[in-house]
Amino acid sequence: MKILIVGCGRVGSQIAADMDRTGHDVTIIDRDPAQFSRASQRGVLTNDFKGNQVVGNGTDAEVLRRAGVEEADGFVAVTEGDNRNIMASQIAKHVFKVPRVVARIYDPERAEAYEKLGLHTICPTIDGAKRIEKTLMEK
Amino acid sequence: MYVLVVGGGTVGYYLSRDLLDRGHEVTLIEKDGRRADWLETQLGSIVMRGDGCEVKFLSQTGIERADAIVAVTADDEDNLIALQMAKRHFNVKKTIARVNNPSNVEIFKTLGVDDAVSATEILLGALEPPITT
Repeated sequence: MKILIVGCGRVGSQIAADMDRTGHDVTIIDRDPAQFSRASQRGVLTNDFKGNQVVGNGTDAEVLRRAGVEEADGFVAVTEGDNRNIMASQIAKHVFKVPRVVARIYDPERAEAYEKLGLHTICPTIDGAKRIEKTLMEK
Repeated sequence: MYVLVVGGGTVGYYLSRDLLDRGHEVTLIEKDGRRADWLETQLGSIVMRGDGCEVKFLSQTGIERADAIVAVTADDEDNLIALQMAKRHFNVKKTIARVNNPSNVEIFKTLGVDDAVSATEILLGALEPPITT
């Protein structure tokens, strides 16, 4: 699959490295070039990463086009900004018709609202809290 | 007309001031506390401090009876989300965005915003008048 990832933080770089290793064609975008070297220093995006790294704003349709959004099968938005992730995902889904789009949204209310509008959302706040509570009560 | 303005920067300030001058009812939403305080010294108690993208906050602004909402922050993504919330949650009839990236004019319309205005596009238009034959 051809995968586009917006946001090269811990989660974005991890997804990029994992999917690259399993044979997918990965492009990762971040507006801050230092994020790529940070990921590399953490040992995540190392020299054997075969995918593409693009410096640019993932909510800019032109940047997405340059990164190959028109041929993408999957799109992931995991920047630090909920609104940026929502906007990038909607552009991917509704303008470029990418078949599979996933957005990370920290704000539970916003995540629920956009899930209802048909966006696949992951809310780490709710998911994380539930996991922690569960682990705490087990044993 | 009752108009909600999201973003109290330069554009939001003058827009609110002129709407008030023309006799409209306005609520100006500004996230930054210090900026909100300054706006209040200029425009009075029409200023509310909060995040225009949050449903809970928006529900305290009288948005249900708003005729229009205009989002003029400096961030296109914040303007988009505020207007989508206003439209989908509160059924505001008219949603208008300021966009910084001219290509977002069309994109915002595709994503359900009623109208989008790009200063960049207007300036380009002024620089390149249409060729008349």
